[in-house]
Amino acid sequence: MRKSKHIAAIALVASFGLIAAACGSDAKTSNTAAPSTTTGGTMAATTTPGTTGGTTGGTMVKGLKLGIAFDTGGRGDGTFNDSAGRGADKVKSTLGATVDELEATTADDRQPNLTTLTGNGDNPIIAVGFAFGDALAKVAAANPTTDYACVDGYYDNATPNVAFLSFAAEQGSYLVGAAAALKSKTHHIGFIGGQEIDLIKTFEAGYIAGAKSIDPTIKIESQYLGAAGDNNAWTSPDKAKEIANGWYKAGADIIYTAAGGSGAGTIAAAVESNAWAIGVDSDQYLSAKPDEQKHILTSMIKRVDSAVFEISKDFASGTFKGGVHVYDLKTDGVGYSTSGGYLDDVKDKLDAIKADIISGKIVVPTKVA
Amino acid sequence: MTGDALAVELKGIEKRFPGVIANHDVNLKVRAGTIHAIVGENGAGKSTLMKTLYGMHQPEAGTIIVDGVQHVFRSPSDAIAAGIGMVHQHFMLADNFTVLENIILGAEPATRGVISFSTARTKIEALMDSSGTHVNLDAPTSDLGVGQRQRVEILKVLYRGARILILDEPTAVLVPQEVDELFSNLHRLVADGATIIFISHKLDEVLTVSDDITVIRAGTTVAEVKPDEVSRLQLAELMVGSELPSPHGRTSTVGTDVRLEVRNLSVAGPGDKRLLDDVSFVIREGEVLGVAGVEGNGQFELCEAILGQVHPIHGTVLIAGDDVTSTAPHFRLVNGLSYIPFDRHREGLLLDAPLWENTLLGRDADEKFLRGPFINAAATRADCREVIAAFDVRTPSEVVPAYALSGGNQQKLLVGRELSSHPRVLVAAHPTRGVDIGAQAAIWEKLRLARDQGLAVLLISADLEELIGLSDNIVVMFDGRINARLTPAEATPELLGTYMTGGLQEIAS
Amino acid sequence: MSTPEPSTMPLSTATEGIMNPGTNDSIWTRLVRPTSGQSVLITLASSVAAVFIAMIIAGLLLLVTGKNPIDAYGKMLHAGLTPVKLVEAMQRATPLIIAAVAVAIGFKMNLFNIGVEGQFLIGMFFAAVVGAKVHMAAPLHVTFVIIIAMIAGAAWSGIAAYLKVKKGVNEVIATIMLNSIALSVIDWLFTSYFRYQSSASLDVKSKPLPKTAWMPVLFTVTSKTGRSTQHQTLTSFVLIALLVVVLFWLVVYKSKFGFRLRASGYNAVAARTAGISSSRMIVVAMLMSGAVAGLAGLPYLLGESHAYGPSRPDGYGFNGIAVALLGRNHPAGIIAAAFLWGFLDSVSAPLQIAKLPQSIVLVLKAIILITVVIVNEVVGRRVAKRTADRTAAQLALPTAAVAA
Repeated sequence: MRKSKHIAAIALVASFGLIAAACGSDAKTSNTAAPSTTTGGTMAATTTPGTTGGTTGGTMVKGLKLGIAFDTGGRGDGTFNDSAGRGADKVKSTLGATVDELEATTADDRQPNLTTLTGNGDNPIIAVGFAFGDALAKVAAANPTTDYACVDGYYDNATPNVAFLSFAAEQGSYLVGAAAALKSKTHHIGFIGGQEIDLIKTFEAGYIAGAKSIDPTIKIESQYLGAAGDNNAWTSPDKAKEIANGWYKAGADIIYTAAGGSGAGTIAAAVESNAWAIGVDSDQYLSAKPDEQKHILTSMIKRVDSAVFEISKDFASGTFKGGVHVYDLKTDGVGYSTSGGYLDDVKDKLDAIKADIISGKIVVPTKVA
Repeated sequence: MTGDALAVELKGIEKRFPGVIANHDVNLKVRAGTIHAIVGENGAGKSTLMKTLYGMHQPEAGTIIVDGVQHVFRSPSDAIAAGIGMVHQHFMLADNFTVLENIILGAEPATRGVISFSTARTKIEALMDSSGTHVNLDAPTSDLGVGQRQRVEILKVLYRGARILILDEPTAVLVPQEVDELFSNLHRLVADGATIIFISHKLDEVLTVSDDITVIRAGTTVAEVKPDEVSRLQLAELMVGSELPSPHGRTSTVGTDVRLEVRNLSVAGPGDKRLLDDVSFVIREGEVLGVAGVEGNGQFELCEAILGQVHPIHGTVLIAGDDVTSTAPHFRLVNGLSYIPFDRHREGLLLDAPLWENTLLGRDADEKFLRGPFINAAATRADCREVIAAFDVRTPSEVVPAYALSGGNQQKLLVGRELSSHPRVLVAAHPTRGVDIGAQAAIWEKLRLARDQGLAVLLISADLEELIGLSDNIVVMFDGRINARLTPAEATPELLGTYMTGGLQEIAS
Repeated sequence: MSTPEPSTMPLSTATEGIMNPGTNDSIWTRLVRPTSGQSVLITLASSVAAVFIAMIIAGLLLLVTGKNPIDAYGKMLHAGLTPVKLVEAMQRATPLIIAAVAVAIGFKMNLFNIGVEGQFLIGMFFAAVVGAKVHMAAPLHVTFVIIIAMIAGAAWSGIAAYLKVKKGVNEVIATIMLNSIALSVIDWLFTSYFRYQSSASLDVKSKPLPKTAWMPVLFTVTSKTGRSTQHQTLTSFVLIALLVVVLFWLVVYKSKFGFRLRASGYNAVAARTAGISSSRMIVVAMLMSGAVAGLAGLPYLLGESHAYGPSRPDGYGFNGIAVALLGRNHPAGIIAAAFLWGFLDSVSAPLQIAKLPQSIVLVLKAIILITVVIVNEVVGRRVAKRTADRTAAQLALPTAAVAA
């Protein structure tokens, strides 16, 4: 009987694991509703990033059906995916579109989800995350009459119905790095990354370069939450909190975290240690609780929401263009937030740096030196 | 005290399990203040009947009368309330409690939730004096031997106020001296007014200790006799319903070739202790060497060392003259060694597997069961059917799982498996333990037949009668050593009992 | 080895046999083995019944949360029972079949290989990087890559086997730790030595395998709705997965080696007594399990991505445990359970589009798993009891006759 108890126990644990996973994913969907609606209004409708320009002419497509394919994690991370979600919400409210959202639970869901959206008649379809590359290549090639966009993604020899929404995250990170160096009293700051992948390394590279440009001797801690491919890295706030608390104790006073939902851990640590956290992708001040807001110095903003909205609008007005769309400081595709007003004293300096980046005077590295 | 008042009367008890009638038309009269033995083969329905009396299940028909009052027992607590207590065959004690805690467990004298240990102690000490059943109340239960554990169980039952005690096979686990002590305690209890119902299939004990004997066969009571009215053989025949063979009466078939030789064999134990200490003997073809001893005195280690399951720190094992000391168990098994293990469930059988896979176990190196790398299922099943037929295994077919068979039939299958590979040496540990008399006789017969054909047998048994009856020579093991060597003619249960408990033989061999 | 306790020797009677049908029974050995008292039909029927019970429970949950379960299941079937989705289910089932076989090999001898996850990742990684380094003819190249994956997977599980046999480390703990070590080792090797930057893509991969190492698509089903086309391909690796199942059946259920493996699983002490070396069986079973596990990533590697990268799939190992449990380690059961899992995964997307919570799929999976285990345990006990009863009844209780 002992063994059968064993097995029953394992089955129980496995089942509860699955149920917990199910609850987790639902919880995420529900608790994002608030930030996405409140921030909708604050999004600068005037930002017109991308190479397509701000064309508003042409006939708008009636009954626009936008498909959004999130990668694993999906809405509720407070950062990247939520930003894309806000873009979709705006498409819905402004352009009167219907929006179909699919979230991948495993890597094997990516291609079927794109296929399903395609079959459902959604057009355009936006894949949120670079990992959709392989899947998108196959689905887009098979459906030339549907237009696709991929946030952060790129692959060679793409068909003309695919737009790549590419963000110069290193530029925004350079600015928040400079802000951190300007505001740090201990000359000691930190960076926490999610998966150790090239995308996140551009955040780290920009941040370090920006900080060093202000204070060449500043001490910068850096750590990743998981190896490349370790999807838990995006959903481990406990891990981020532990690292952040350690650094705060060791004397760091500002930590920038580019790790999706894990970033909440850094904010919690900042509250406990009465230090600063820097948010990522979305303006995390806006979705934070009041006690947390006092500890969010700024956020590196990656305007995935604008990109999603613009590409949808282009499609609606018949001006969709494939190829790479770059979102950088010049087009306000990336930037930093000033919510809370904690950067008011250094804003002039930051804006000067921003101007230098835009003019090409400063070239921000994408790899850590 | 012995009068004609009935402590327990059962009338027309019938108990059915799905597909089986375990008891039918059972009538039992137990006189107050007597020791009443219930004898029968395993499977005859003794345990079922006692479970009925103790309220562990409800009969389909019949009445239970205790001290003249008719009862319906819905649970053991009803039976306890009526003054019935049961000492199970398997002790149910919490090892990490003291004796005192175990005795009062479930019936703690408490005032407002606080256990009064002193009240309990006073009461138990009085019980110990009146019953002559003594045990150290403060000892941790894990330190107790089997005999002491049994005393704790008896005290537990008495503590709950039982005046009618059911003892299920109480002597199965005791050495002869402990049995004597138990019996004298039982007599004191009876003298004190208690009534004992004593379940056993050891007929000598039954004849010695009981006032009345009821025989159960095939689920029903077939006879009630007095011990001075019947002989042992008559009683046995009442139990099985026909005439019986005995282990005695045969001529020696000991040959000259040495089949198994063990020289100065020692097995290390924890610390400096040796579990097996300098053991030497030879067994020739056609010879049965009996090993007597209280369990845990090195018999298991001896078997393990002969089989190659443990590495001896010293000594040699030779099978038919070949030194196999450094070979793997499998090598020895395919080279003429067979083994009937101590515990058939634990070491011998795949209970969930069908019988034909059970008979294959350990014999799968034999080409006749194989077709290339695959098992030849047809041949294996045919072979199993042969074992079933030859060893009279009662089963509908060879595909039923082993757990479905009764203990005796499982054992016959096991013995059949081990003998059908035609071994040269058989190590047989308790070959008939826990099997009914019919199966026991069959197994004895088969062992004797194999021995006649030259098989050398190392027979380890707690059944002294079996040991004396089957062996050509007997050694007694105590504390890992052989401390006596004798012939069956010299061996009496009393003498063996003395050696088994550490008494030394005066003449060294 | 200690001496067996004298008091544990049960003097079994027919009725005791009924009450206590076995002391060494493990659920999979008992339930997976129809020959020992349980017919295939009962096994199948109880599994199907368990799935239905799970659907009812999940339906009630849906009802409580204000969704119409009939509607939800209707959508599920409507969306799922289309050629595209059925092929998708089979495509998804392919790695699960392999992973479940790997798990089942361990289960058959009571070894809990929780490390299939790490083993399959290691297998996939080495297959990708070693396979990309060589050039050979197509059939040879594919075979070579498959062998590399198996060796790598076996080597990884071999560590756990070594730890268990030589150091007494429980395989559950060892394999769980090796799962996370595998991730780190792969990450280190990948970022340090095997990154292959071919384009501006952030989705970095190892050097692609030459075309000679690609597995062809077995077939593609296409469905056109309006302007859009749905393609679903089935990678030919599914044939290898089925071959693995057949070999599993032959080796574990039919061979002498498999008999010894199962005997060790039924009762390790009895197997040891019969001369079957338990350490050797542990090592061989773990190596076999790891070798099979190494294959689970190949449908993706050889059929889809042709290179290793962090965006590769994961979770096959853990889902493989569920599938093995659900399929009761039986070859046909594993295929059916893997297909069911693939089917449920494939209808997740249509459910989301229909605004039904995708978590219904996860909840359903969890409840199915637990009901199957419970129902099987109950049915198993019933069958065991009935077998014992019938055996006793057929023997007509009086067994007093003495052997001649």
